[in-house]
Amino acid sequence: MLEVTGLAAGYEGNDVVEDVSFHVDPGEAVMIIGSNGAGKTTLFRSVVGLLAPSSGEVRYEGAGITGVPAQRIVRLGISFVPAERRLFPRMTVQENLALGAYPGRPDPGTTELVMDLFPRLAERRRQRAGTMSGGEQQMLAVGRALMADPRLIVLDEPTTGLAPKLAAEAYEALSALRDRGLTVLVAEQQVPLAMAFSDRGYVLENGRIRTQGTSAELADDPDVRRAYLGIT
Amino acid sequence: MIANVLDGIVFGIQLGLWAAGLTLVYGLGGVLNLAHGQIAVISAVALAFGMDAGLPVLPAAGLALLVGGVVGLFLDLTILRPVYRLQGEARVLLSLLLTLGVAFIVDGFLNWRYPGRSLSLFIGGGAIEILGVPMRRGSLLASAITLVAFAALFSFFRFTALGRAVRSVIEDEEGARLVGIDPARMLRLILVLSGVLAALVAVTRSMVVSVDVQAGFGITVLALIVTVVGGLGSVSGALLAGIILGIVNVIAADVIGTFMSLVILLLAAAVTILMRPSGLLGVEE
Repeated sequence: MLEVTGLAAGYEGNDVVEDVSFHVDPGEAVMIIGSNGAGKTTLFRSVVGLLAPSSGEVRYEGAGITGVPAQRIVRLGISFVPAERRLFPRMTVQENLALGAYPGRPDPGTTELVMDLFPRLAERRRQRAGTMSGGEQQMLAVGRALMADPRLIVLDEPTTGLAPKLAAEAYEALSALRDRGLTVLVAEQQVPLAMAFSDRGYVLENGRIRTQGTSAELADDPDVRRAYLGIT
Repeated sequence: MIANVLDGIVFGIQLGLWAAGLTLVYGLGGVLNLAHGQIAVISAVALAFGMDAGLPVLPAAGLALLVGGVVGLFLDLTILRPVYRLQGEARVLLSLLLTLGVAFIVDGFLNWRYPGRSLSLFIGGGAIEILGVPMRRGSLLASAITLVAFAALFSFFRFTALGRAVRSVIEDEEGARLVGIDPARMLRLILVLSGVLAALVAVTRSMVVSVDVQAGFGITVLALIVTVVGGLGSVSGALLAGIILGIVNVIAADVIGTFMSLVILLLAAAVTILMRPSGLLGVEE
């Protein structure tokens, strides 16, 4: 579904990620784990069109989408939820969700799905996004991304700033979406949560893929256990 | 005193509408359009020529709005191209310099070809008394049109998907891109809209006083002051600040003298920046 080959990207001529290759198959949940500064955000930004890659290729459903701007990528069926969420703070929950479906009208079925998934959003329809708690804003960010009716959702550290209980709830919501057939690609520092959720994963270190495998394989890898699971 | 306040409101809402176009373009794209007043003047000239050519006033006014929109589009397609390649402060500065250049050229051309030319639309009929003050019909009609334009603007931003999309770019450009909105297209739309609004105010202004070919910089400066006081990117802020400064302007001119009113407006803007850097209703960064 998504195939990234030899991707390099960075800022002002300095590549932060280099020669990164990975793929996501339809219906899969795939994680990219790595510590702070490993290049996860840069990698995702260059995949979803917020940053032009300096080399390499991104293909989606067989078609090349390298360097296509973000506003077009979302129309192709890839929704991105950045770690900073990028909500419209002075607009209401409802307006944020409606914009997720731009340029169409919000689909009643999709709206219902989002409200079922996050009942808090239904309660707060008329509240301004900027006045909500971090957890609620994360729900809204995911909800807004879903309004575009994507086939692939890409999330950059969805648990940023969330208390452990809310972080676990975020992954429960993602599991529910997966069960409905949505393909998920997630970058995460909170590795245990992501590992329990994903089928496969890649470990990104210093801008390069260091190792990869199924979540079970990675959970048994001594280096991964030491560096990301805190087990010696 | 009441007469001053009413005259101030008549002037103030027009200032507010001029400022609305300026503030939207800035809030949306970080572009400071110093040729805003010249767009208004070009539109007024178009209206005067249309009427000279025998057009009735409504089609001639329609022509003026069209010209305003086309000039806005022209700026987007030509002079602002290099500006769009820059970000942040450099972008603001280059847009300021280039549009200032456009303003000088337009002013120079108009002054050379049509020196002393001015537009005034005479609205006949006797004065109408409001709160005991006799108001000219031209002022009242101009105010009614301006308020309808404001209402249309607010409805556009609040109730239409396109209006929400424009607001979303002002709130968070990257967030807007992530939901499929192209900020460049929204900016082009708003440049056209701000041109149409500049023209509309030129038309209504000429019902109150005469608008001459050298009025451009005065309009831009006033709109800029209103924009700063109201808050960058805020249409309601532009309306509120326009009304307040319109009243201040008329009272200052009456009590102290016209020569001091602009100084007092600048002082008001300076005090606002000191007390509320983001303006009365601006978006807090």
